[in-house]
Amino acid sequence: MTTLARKCVPFTPFDRELAKSNIAIVTAAGVHLRGQEPFNIADEMGDLGFRIITPDTDSSGLMVTHHHYDHADADADINVVFPLDLLRELEADKVIGGLARKHIGYMGYTMQLKAMYEGTAPEIANEIDRGSRADAVILTGG
Amino acid sequence: MRGIPTVLVTVSPEVSAQMRPPRALYPKGFKIGNSLGRPHMRALQRQVLTDALSLLSENTRPGEVVTREYADYGEQYDPPRVKG
Repeated sequence: MTTLARKCVPFTPFDRELAKSNIAIVTAAGVHLRGQEPFNIADEMGDLGFRIITPDTDSSGLMVTHHHYDHADADADINVVFPLDLLRELEADKVIGGLARKHIGYMGYTMQLKAMYEGTAPEIANEIDRGSRADAVILTGG
Repeated sequence: MRGIPTVLVTVSPEVSAQMRPPRALYPKGFKIGNSLGRPHMRALQRQVLTDALSLLSENTRPGEVVTREYADYGEQYDPPRVKG
């Protein structure tokens, strides 16, 4: 018997044309730039931080730091969890309007669920809401 | 803040369903770490992504996970189960 969250479903209607919309990626798969501080996988409490990734990023400059899933496939092709190149293809083919100005990677594993829910999650939402020009977000996990 | 439309691609549908995501796609049988498909299978990855983006405009039921099958993925994996 699955227990469902008692919180309201945070459903926001999508009332734009996809072909005119900017899309952001938010992933819990532990994706970050090679030059950014890796997520802390030594702390079994997890890492509550997140990293901002700009749309001009070369996907070869991305990596994964996460110790709770096998990310060998993401290491070989980051698009399996962070579809940056795919969004560029969709933009070129006019399926979407473009890429948002900010994308986010964080490490979904944490034992600090309250801090994740009340701290990290609204901080990420604020980053997307402020200055990313995202019209919609695609979410992925590991 | 009026809210931001989101769509989740999940390979742990039972776990994700507990959180009642506004819109979610489960590509059936994909393993953890393969949300969009296997490495370098660009056509498959693109299909999953466009299907997910399509859910933004489709008349889905908020809180439910939509399952789609992708034969090109190949070997199927059982998703993690929620312990009852």
